[in-house]
Amino acid sequence: MARPSDPHAMTPRKPGSTRTAPPTVPDDFWTRPRMLTYLLFDATGIVYLLVGLVALRVAWALGSGRAAWDALMQSFASPGYLIFHAIALVSALFVGVRFFRLFPKAQPAHIGPAKPPPPAVLQAMLYVAWIGITIVLLAVLGGVWP
Amino acid sequence: MKALLLRLEPIIWLLFGGGIMVGTLLLPGYLMTVTLGGPLGLLPDGALSFERAHAIASNPIGRVLLLAIIALPLWKGAHHTRALAVDMLGHHSDALVGSLLYAVAAIGSVLGILAVLAI
Repeated sequence: MARPSDPHAMTPRKPGSTRTAPPTVPDDFWTRPRMLTYLLFDATGIVYLLVGLVALRVAWALGSGRAAWDALMQSFASPGYLIFHAIALVSALFVGVRFFRLFPKAQPAHIGPAKPPPPAVLQAMLYVAWIGITIVLLAVLGGVWP
Repeated sequence: MKALLLRLEPIIWLLFGGGIMVGTLLLPGYLMTVTLGGPLGLLPDGALSFERAHAIASNPIGRVLLLAIIALPLWKGAHHTRALAVDMLGHHSDALVGSLLYAVAAIGSVLGILAVLAI
């Protein structure tokens, strides 16, 4: 029976001679665009966490009846919620653009006997899916279809 | 606690990956309508009335998508917030911060299942 893998199984017996940078964020990270982008990508996690919790409120309101739903929709019109959801939309677009750029690079060379599509094709497929799903959601939730 | 997080890492990464992929695919459409378009009055009358929203969300596909919009961003959010905390605060508080964040995601996901089933 297979044992669970040890996360330290590949650790060398003695440290290598190569010096590695300490795993700390430099004090001047505000001035380093690549570092800043990386940290902003991580910071979208806070926004996603809050979006999930607000979506939970949406589901509870739908299960609680018309009065709860109407009250929730009214509260969504407050400046605080509008600003937060505008930030959430920008965050989702930022995550999508960055993740879809990274996704082809993270693919294995082979998936069984098959090779993954070329990076440009894979990226195009992701964008087509993203735009298609967004259009369908806009149509359904926007009252246009069905 | 750190050892437990390491053992759960495959499950956490699966949910995090789902959050970053599926969550991001679904969020723009949801945010532009339910949380921005409706409250700003940009949608046709009755588009997000209780009857219509309830009919969409109580449909089997609607339930699955609503649960995905609740649970997957929670896991993406928990994992990336943990990574941000490690970057900004260091590793010494990782076990506590990571456990708290994943607990929020897990409890939120269970509540999400209950809420979606109650619609």
